[in-house]
Formats: sequence, C-alpha cells, structure tokens
Amino acid sequence: MPKVTINGTEIEVDKGKSILRAAAEAGYDVPHFCYHPALSAPANCRMCLVEIEGVPKLQPGCYSQINDGMVVHTESERVVKARKAVLEFILLNHPVDCPICDQAGECKLQDYYIDYDAQESRVRTEKQNKVKAYPIGPEVVYDGERCILCTRCIRFCQEVTQTDELTIVERGDRAEIRAFPGRELDNNYSMCTVDICPVGALTARDFRFKCRVWLLTSTDSVCTGCSNGCNIHLDHFRNEVQRYRPRYNPEVNDYWMCDEGRLSYKSVHTDRQTEPKVNGATVNWHALAQAVADKLGKVEDPSQIALVISPQATCEDIFLAKRFGEETLGGVQFYLGGKLSGDSDEFLIKADKNPNTRGIEAVFGGTDSLKSFDDLLADMESGAISVLYMSGTDTPCDAETRERFVGLLDGLKLFLHQSPHAGEFADKAHIILPSCTHAEKDGTFINFDGVAQPIYQAFAGYGRSIPDWQIFLRLARAMKKPFDYTFLTQIQEEMFAASQAPEPEPEPEPEAGDDESSAPPPAE
Amino acid sequence: MAKHEVKQVERVEPGLWEKSYIPEIARGLKVTIGHFLNNLRPNKEKHTTFTREYPDVPTDYYPDRFRGLHRLMLRDDGQVRCVACMCCSTICPANCIHIEAAEHDDPAIEKYPAVFVIDELRCIVCGLCVEACPCDAIRMDSGVHAHPFTDRGEAFLNRDLLMEMGGLSMAKQGGER
Repeated sequence: MPKVTINGTEIEVDKGKSILRAAAEAGYDVPHFCYHPALSAPANCRMCLVEIEGVPKLQPGCYSQINDGMVVHTESERVVKARKAVLEFILLNHPVDCPICDQAGECKLQDYYIDYDAQESRVRTEKQNKVKAYPIGPEVVYDGERCILCTRCIRFCQEVTQTDELTIVERGDRAEIRAFPGRELDNNYSMCTVDICPVGALTARDFRFKCRVWLLTSTDSVCTGCSNGCNIHLDHFRNEVQRYRPRYNPEVNDYWMCDEGRLSYKSVHTDRQTEPKVNGATVNWHALAQAVADKLGKVEDPSQIALVISPQATCEDIFLAKRFGEETLGGVQFYLGGKLSGDSDEFLIKADKNPNTRGIEAVFGGTDSLKSFDDLLADMESGAISVLYMSGTDTPCDAETRERFVGLLDGLKLFLHQSPHAGEFADKAHIILPSCTHAEKDGTFINFDGVAQPIYQAFAGYGRSIPDWQIFLRLARAMKKPFDYTFLTQIQEEMFAASQAPEPEPEPEPEAGDDESSAPPPAE
Repeated sequence: MAKHEVKQVERVEPGLWEKSYIPEIARGLKVTIGHFLNNLRPNKEKHTTFTREYPDVPTDYYPDRFRGLHRLMLRDDGQVRCVACMCCSTICPANCIHIEAAEHDDPAIEKYPAVFVIDELRCIVCGLCVEACPCDAIRMDSGVHAHPFTDRGEAFLNRDLLMEMGGLSMAKQGGER
C-alpha cells in the first residue's frame, strides 16, 4: 500500500484514495463544500486545496489521488491563505442573512468562515441579486443568493436517485440551480438535497422557519415509515419532534431517507390519546389495571380473547404481549395487525409499511402462530371472539373492510384498545390504554433485512401514556401473575435468549454514529 | 488557624426604667406622633415622608439606560422590524419570549414573527434580548415601568401591543451593504 506523509504524519492508505480521505484517516480535517462521501468529486468549490511537495500549484484534496511517497501539507501557510481567498470569493455575493436562514447553526459556510476567514467584507459594491424562496420542488425551497453552486444537489439527483431534475443555469455570478424546464425536484428523496446542501440554499418546506437548529436536541432513532428502518436523528424541541434527519448507516440507509418517512414524524403528535379510561371515565393506571384484571379474569374461555399484535410496536412490546397472552391470560388467539402494504422502489422504500414485521417473526418464531386480520373479522362475525385486545390503530385492510371491522366492534363483550392514537376506536373501546410512540420509549426494531436496531427515548410520554411493555407489566401484576422484570434490559436479555433472533448478540446493532453534517470525510 | 482578636462587649443590663417598658413605649410614640403631626402641616416642603406611592406615583429619577417594558421597533412602512431570528428568545435566560415565525407575503421580507409574545412577569429585565437583536427590532427603552398585573394573562404582551410602543429605528434594515 502506498505511504504518504500528511502534515508530518506518515500513513499507509489504500491505493486510489483521495488526499482528503487519507488526511481524514491521519486525523486532519480538510474543509470542503462540494465533496460528499457518497457522491462523485467534481472539485469545483476549491475549498479543499492542499499543498503537495513538488507540485507547483495547490491541488484539490477531494479529487487528487495519493501516490506513494507523496508529502502533503493541509495546514501550511499557502493552504490557509488559499482557503481564506476561496471563502472570500464564495462570500462575495452571499447575502449573510444568517439570522433568517434555517441552516444557521449547521452551516458549513458559517463554520469555515469562523475557522479560516473571520474578516470583514471588503466588497463595496452592490451584491448580485438572485432568486429568493424559489419553489424548486414541492418539498424544497431554493434560495439563489445563499447558493454556493457546489452542485451536491445536482449530483445527488444524477447519481443517487438517477432522476436528473436539476442543473445549473446561467454563468458566472448569475449562475443558479434550477430544475430542467417543465420539471421540478419532486422525486421520493428530494429532501435529502436539503441535508446535503452545505449552506441554506435548499431548505425543506416542512421545516422552514419552524425551529432554530441550535434549539434542537437530537436523539438516535429509527424511522417507522416502512420496514427498511432508516436510521434517523430524531430532532426535537420542547417535547415535540421537529424533524427527522437521516443518520449514516452503510448497512441500512447510507446517508439517505425518503420524503415520506421523513414527514412521518407528524403522526407522533396527531390524534393522541393520553388518559387511561375505563368505560369513558378517566382513571389512574392502578385502577385501570385492576379493572382490566377484573374483567379479563371473568372471561371463562381464554380462547375467546383475541390479542392483535402490531408490527408497529418494538420487539420488547411484542415479546411481552406474547408472554401476557400465553402465560398471564393463557391460550389467547393472536392476530397480526399493522398497516397495509404500499408502494416500494429499489432503493429505500419497502412495500411493508410496518417497521417491525421481522420482530414479530423473531419473537413468535415466524408468523404461523398468528392468524391474519381477515381471520379476526371472520371470528368476530361468527362469535368465536368476544373479547378484543387491540394494540395499535392500524389495520392491514382496505377502508371498506376497516369500516366493517369498526362496525363489528359494537358486538364485542369487551374491547381493550392499547395505542398512542385514538383512531375511530375512542368511543368504541371499553378500556383505553394510552401507550407511547417510538419517540417516547426505548426499544428495538428489526428491519426487513434482519438488522436489529435500537431506538431511544427522546422525551417523556404524552399525558399519562406509558410504553406498551410497562402496560403489560402492570396488567400482569394486577392479575397476580407478575413478570420478573424491572428494566427494559432484562426483557431484552431474555427476549434474545428466548428467540432464535437473526442477530445473536443481545445488544442490537451498534450505533453507526457517523453523521455526515458533523464529521467531514468519514473514513468508512 | 489564624488567631482572631476577640473583643468582649459588656452586656448592658436593663434597669428598672427600661424593664417597666411603659415609659420607653411612650418615648417611641412621641417620635411617631411627631412625624405624623409634622406631615399634617400645610407646607409640603417641611414634610418628612420617605415613602413613595408606587406605582401610582412613579419615581422622578430614571437613569439613562433604564430598562422598562419591551417595545418592537417598526420599519419605515410601519411593519415590524423583527425578522423572527429567535436570537432574543434563545439568549433569554428567563425563557420569556415566544416567537412563531412565518413566511411573509412580501418577498423582500421573507420571514416575520406571526406570533411574538413576551411574558413580562417572567422577564428579569436583563436586556440580553436587546443586545442579541441583529436588526434593532427589540428595545427596552420604552420608559414604561412594568406595572403590576392582577391577572397572569395581562402580562403576556403580544406583538401588536409591543409595536404600539415602538417607533422608527435609525439602523438600516439588513445592515450596510
């Protein structure tokens, strides 16, 4: 392998690696705008210029490959001077409207200005005026003045989604990013361009002006939009999810996520039920557990009880639901809930819209022991099921069948509804058990590929909602058959020991902690 | 440990005169009644009151940099100068500023505060919001004392109330180019 010396550090790197990556391996951060590890390197921003001994001119670090015996300086006087000049050039027509720019706080231009430029503008002429707040796509807004023409978004549309919507129009200081005539940036991954935009030129219509980024707290989580399980940063402020951002994980989603999943955070806050209720009366959890224990204890034949397991729940919740059904109640019928399958593509979007179908398979050892939702309807119609314990509001059926299902609920002797959302069941359910969404609890999801991924609690549960696994613990204790758990980790240990989970290790998938926006060239 | 100089104070034992209390009370009342009668004199100059009927009578002396109620400054056309950058609400140590930004119809303005509420009861009058403001939109130089509120809701001053106290600013919006 070729050896290079970077700032006096000798390092062996793979052949064909760029200087920028080699420097990152040696521990030196070379500033860059246009370079993105998942995209090609056009070397047009000139921010990553480095000095190579024996080469008269400075070379772009993102594009130049290392040679054996190369001696590179990334912090020399010439390089620093060049960086300052490049920044001054980029800032010539930049409006410096950081106070109203959504990118302020996570802006590369801001960061590098502080690090390398930090001088007052010497420009005394009018700045070039360009298009402001231009709707370049349904989800994305473009600001021409802030744009530094790094072409990351163009290359994203060319190389990742291969939809080729964007290009540069005009030349020189009038150049702007535009969609081709008659087209707009409306592919399924268009909001990824907002993430990769190093400045505030592309902003998401959804997040625009909503919250300043420095107020956000970020929690590592997993998108629940489909079974792909894209890793996300769940950015929240004052107990409210403000946005999802993809989190780098080469095994699952790389740097990307789809728009639909990105906007699925809204379901966390809509249609929530927050108070435990028995027959419409708000009670506390203790009284509710007693009432449930009393009512379920009176059911003579447990096979009349239907327990609908939702693949929207975490593995821990499903595991406890199974134990609750099999051991505490004894011999109930399990049915598979969840969402109906939807669209899919070859990239990230999967047809199975439930994040944890594989989790059910892992806990139950396949889905054979679970009856389908159609069976539930048939059993309810025939009267074989008189007690329904439903987790989640989703039903894997079309609107018509769902209407039929909702109508059948009136015929039940007892209907327990355990869900974060009310759905149509708020006045149908005899007992309402408000649970937490994935943003409010810890847990594990297993994606379509069998990768077990942890989610972490971002903020406290809405109202008096508690995680599903805690609900089952409370109910089991009220029924005098308590589970031997106190912490989630105990459940996890037992769960992974009990099931033939695809992932043998008890602690799921390690964090692919690398974040594109904070770590420049990740040495992946 | 350092040696401390200790001064012993002799305790004064009260005599029969003090122990009987009545004459001492009478002596104290003499001072009080003296002031009372003095303040009944028609010549107010000779009065010896040291209390002020705040807030009915505000103080006659305010320092130049006195920080009163907030006010929101205006653009030349009477619109709010604030661009809803949230710098003030971020720096506010009392968390008393609540802003909800929105897109403005005028493309030249882009962002403006649709909701701007200051909880004057929470405000600790530190003035950091004024320092943080990049466009001279918020000031505390209204000269209006935060008056006592009987209802918490009254203390939430909204954007229009704050703009009523506002005025034009010398600073050029958007800064010098």
